[in-house]
Amino acid sequence: MTSVLPPQKESTSGTYTFSSRPRALPNRSKYRDPVAELQEEPTQYGNIMYDRRVIRGNTYAQHILPVSAQPDPIEIQRQQEVRRRAAAKKRAKDQLRPRTPEPVEGRKHIDVQTELYLEELSDRIVETDVECQTDAFLDKPPTPLFVPAKTGRDAVTQIEEGELFDFDIEVKPVLEVFIGKTIEQALLEVMEEEELANLRGQQRAFEELRNAELAEVQRLEEQERRHREEKERRMREQREVLRLEKETAEKIAARVFAKHYLADLIPSIYSNLRDNGYFYDPVERDIETNFLNWLVKDVENTLDDHVLGRKVLDMLIREVVEKRLDVFQQMEQQQQHNASA
Amino acid sequence: MAHTRISNKMPPHIEPARAPIAFGRRAIPKLNEELASEDLVTRQCALASLCDLVHDPERAYETIETGCLENLKRLLRDKDSVVRRKTTEVLYELSVHNVGRDAFLQNDVILSLAELLDEPVDICRVNMHKTLEMLSEFTPGAAGIVDAGLVPQLVLKLPSELVEIQEIILDTLHFCLRVNVSQALASGAISILKEKLLHNSVAIRSKAAQALMGICVPLEGKNEVCKQNIIPILVRLLKDRHPEVAAKAAGSLMIATITTQGKYAALKAMAIPPLLQLVSSPVTEVSLNAIKAITTLAEAPEGRQELLNHVAVLESKQDHSSEIIRRAAGTAVRVITWKP
Repeated sequence: MTSVLPPQKESTSGTYTFSSRPRALPNRSKYRDPVAELQEEPTQYGNIMYDRRVIRGNTYAQHILPVSAQPDPIEIQRQQEVRRRAAAKKRAKDQLRPRTPEPVEGRKHIDVQTELYLEELSDRIVETDVECQTDAFLDKPPTPLFVPAKTGRDAVTQIEEGELFDFDIEVKPVLEVFIGKTIEQALLEVMEEEELANLRGQQRAFEELRNAELAEVQRLEEQERRHREEKERRMREQREVLRLEKETAEKIAARVFAKHYLADLIPSIYSNLRDNGYFYDPVERDIETNFLNWLVKDVENTLDDHVLGRKVLDMLIREVVEKRLDVFQQMEQQQQHNASA
Repeated sequence: MAHTRISNKMPPHIEPARAPIAFGRRAIPKLNEELASEDLVTRQCALASLCDLVHDPERAYETIETGCLENLKRLLRDKDSVVRRKTTEVLYELSVHNVGRDAFLQNDVILSLAELLDEPVDICRVNMHKTLEMLSEFTPGAAGIVDAGLVPQLVLKLPSELVEIQEIILDTLHFCLRVNVSQALASGAISILKEKLLHNSVAIRSKAAQALMGICVPLEGKNEVCKQNIIPILVRLLKDRHPEVAAKAAGSLMIATITTQGKYAALKAMAIPPLLQLVSSPVTEVSLNAIKAITTLAEAPEGRQELLNHVAVLESKQDHSSEIIRRAAGTAVRVITWKP
């Protein structure tokens, strides 16, 4: 028969609380009564595998226990409902299970063994008691030296000359390093030389081009210079020629003009001299200068005398007239005075 | 407790001639320290390892960054010839890389190298000259060499050195002449080059002709060349069997005949027939230089007259595959058929 555990209590005074109390296994019958099983309440034992407080699996969606130790009343209700429903379901399933039909009126079902060898049926489980007891401590004798039993066969070995150290094998890594380094170095140097050779080839090509271009440039310069000099020279010559021509033309013109000028010179000189009176008749000149001078002077004097006489006459007349005028004026004045008086 | 060392003995020193190279970034600084050590063997081994490492451009950059150049400059004056030889090798490797060359110019390595001009050991000199040649290949380097006044010294060394060193010197001179010609002219380079033009070795002849080409570029060079009667020698070289020599000789001619004096000298030396032959050569450089030389000669009236008979050859070159040859041929034909 199953015994029901004392209900779970949180013992506040105890140092240790059990989730599932250890218990002695009850004597149970060999064959469990199927009817009795139905009455079984779910034992208040805690299976650690299904304990909500033990965290299993990933903790990303952790169900955090409510703060209070008392479970939420709603939670309790829900759980009870779930339990009830599970029990109901189980009961329903059990009822659906086909069972042996009920015994007929007046008879009873009974279990019977039908095998060849009968088996004793009893509720009592075969138990045997075994006990053990150590002997009282005795003084232990010293353990004998452990000499393992000699097994196998004796064998002898000796290292011969040259077996421990095989030159060919040992030298391999050293050689590899040597050769590797040498070849690496050699490769580097060969690559360098190749690069140099390439560079030199390029250099050569460049130099050819450069030399050719240099020569071309210098040649063209030279050509240019020569042409220019040639041109300058020709132009200079041309200018020379022109200048000479101009000079000759001027010379000719000057000569012609001079000739023309000078041709006229002599008659004009003569005419000028004649005009200025350098050629003269001396007698005529003499008469002109001396005689005529005297004549003219004389005439002048005579005339002057005439003029003088006229002037004297004039003065006389003037005086007379003035006197008459004065007399007349006086007479007029007297007349006027007489008239007014 | 476990130690990091596996055994009590140090790992075996595989190559006794080289210093062991530390791992990763520590390699070059460690070698740098070893370079400054007093012990001869250490220095030699360190130099040998450094020499191998410097082929890699990243290592070369590291070498310069950690300032190995000071030590290397000091080691150039070392008493031991192996040390000097290895140092010059390392410097040569460094000069192959661009960062190396820049660093050389900044740290005045040229002057230190110049001290080795009179070095008794041959291989050191070879390496030193090779380094100088590498330096001179780019313009600031050539300018540096010219500024250091090395050109006259190199020219003076030319007659007395070994053949291979002469080749290297001629190359160096060729690049330096692009920067500055007057120094070389002042030291009488033309007469020295004249002898070299008749040397047995093909390389020397062609390089001497190339150097002459460089010298002829400025006017004084051209005048000197005409004065020293080099043009007949050049014309003779045009008939040389080796195409490089002929190419460079034609190049020198094409530049030297730009002056009127040069033109008449060339015409007097009967330059035209060999030049015409060279025009049909398969090597691009040869035919290009020959065409250019013909163009300059055609500027002179006598040359033009003679070349009018051969215009066909030049016209056939006008459909050559290379563009410069076509242009050159076109110019030549134009110049030949020009009426004043």
